[in-house]
Amino acid sequence: MEDKCINCRYFDNRSALIESAFPGLNSLSSAYGSVWAESGICSLHELFLSPWRRCKDFKQ
Amino acid sequence: MAQKNENPVHKADGTGQPSKPLTMGWKELYLKEDWWAIYLGFAMVIVCLVAFVNGSPIVKTLTVNPGGLKWTSLDQLFTHFANNIHLYGLQLVSWLVIFGVTTRIMGIKTSEFVPSFIILYLLSIVAFSIGGWASAGRYMLEPPLVALIIGIVIANFMPLPKWMDSGFRVEYYIKTGIVLLGATFPIRLVISAGPIALLEATIIALTTCLTIYFVSTKVFGLDKRLGAVLGTGAAVCGVSGSMAIGSAVGAKKEYVYSAITMVVIWALIMILFIPFVSKALHLNPGIAGAWVGTSEFADAAGFAAASSYGRFAGNEDAAIQGFTLMKVIGRDIWIGIWSFVFALIACMKWEKEECGVRPSAMEIWWRFPKFVLGFFAASLVMTYVVAGYSPADFKALVKPDLFGPLAAIRTWAFIFCFMSIGLTSRFKELKEAGLKPAFAFSIGVLVNVTLGFILSVYVFGDYWSMLGK
Repeated sequence: MEDKCINCRYFDNRSALIESAFPGLNSLSSAYGSVWAESGICSLHELFLSPWRRCKDFKQ
Repeated sequence: MAQKNENPVHKADGTGQPSKPLTMGWKELYLKEDWWAIYLGFAMVIVCLVAFVNGSPIVKTLTVNPGGLKWTSLDQLFTHFANNIHLYGLQLVSWLVIFGVTTRIMGIKTSEFVPSFIILYLLSIVAFSIGGWASAGRYMLEPPLVALIIGIVIANFMPLPKWMDSGFRVEYYIKTGIVLLGATFPIRLVISAGPIALLEATIIALTTCLTIYFVSTKVFGLDKRLGAVLGTGAAVCGVSGSMAIGSAVGAKKEYVYSAITMVVIWALIMILFIPFVSKALHLNPGIAGAWVGTSEFADAAGFAAASSYGRFAGNEDAAIQGFTLMKVIGRDIWIGIWSFVFALIACMKWEKEECGVRPSAMEIWWRFPKFVLGFFAASLVMTYVVAGYSPADFKALVKPDLFGPLAAIRTWAFIFCFMSIGLTSRFKELKEAGLKPAFAFSIGVLVNVTLGFILSVYVFGDYWSMLGK
């Protein structure tokens, strides 16, 4: 398994979670749209990231 | 890197275990609302075509709304509802099934969607009813603005429970409406006016983004990622643009909070500002639509502004066409490229060691707003279908019996969207944007709105004033 964010235990990209994590987001946008691709939240670094990124703190 | 928080967000789901992040692949075809907007849009186009060919009034009958009543007494309004209560009931059930089933497949809880959609539907009827008052036009009480105001008042003075947001799917409704719009949008207009829209939109988008980026980073000394997130929020497609670029550059969560707050506030201001200024200046609706397209930040907000002014000015088609060309074709479809370019800059320049991988050009396709494909496809198909009709037959048959019902369905989808914007705009919920980001974004807005006005009215005004004729 590649050590990309998409495979990391700290990464979450579920649409419902993202909408609840960013208040006001669904007022003019939606986490169910294509432009989001597979982006998600890294709970370790509190970052919003693309799934293809990598970092030294990767944990499966 | 930001401070570390060892608690995975996944544990918030109550299982105590990290859940596996979602890998899309082909699942996008049924998990993303863009694709569902295309499926629904085309299904509705087919239903309208079948009804048209068979001479059936079923769609026309089912898309009844009180917006065109021009009532002068409440008795007239109540009589209309009394006479058509069965149609409204059937209509509600149809919408519930259409949106309820599809949102369920996307993962939205039906137990939350159904009650909130019923409320949304009833409030939309109220908005249409107010807009159908004979004197509504005099006060610019067009249904889009009325829906928005009703929604905002409810959201901020008697807020509905947060779980009801499950039914207030702003983007899903507007995307479905845009695909339906494509069915009545001549493809020759896309071909002839598209390049002009692209040129104007590119000038505006680059100027706005660079202004915000440089004011943020050079004047206020803010992080480059924040400058990028704010800049693309104003320049490309609002919150969605900020989020796409935010994830491409690896933005801190608080940067996204800032962008959401600024986009929502300015988008709501622009929904009112541009139509009222356009009204004061007696702008041609096509020109006003183009201006909205350059200077409104989100599709949903822009359609509300363009539709309101178009209705007021007596040519909604022109305003909507101007807006669509400028915003959807001129700005939205380039989000993938913006995202890829910023991902490259972030990974190759800003954080060579942290990024760990070179972004793929596939980013452009991954982030492409797929519903736009539905808009183009619907436009192509319907242009081909009606090409055989003479101008006289087109006016006498196609317009009232095919395009009319399609426009009526679209009107419903749009009103659900406008009401949802209001109902989800809870100002208390918005996080503080921070003074410097707020100033940087606002300076960009001023540049954008001024340049958008100059280009739409004085430079390219001749093109936009031809729309809707």
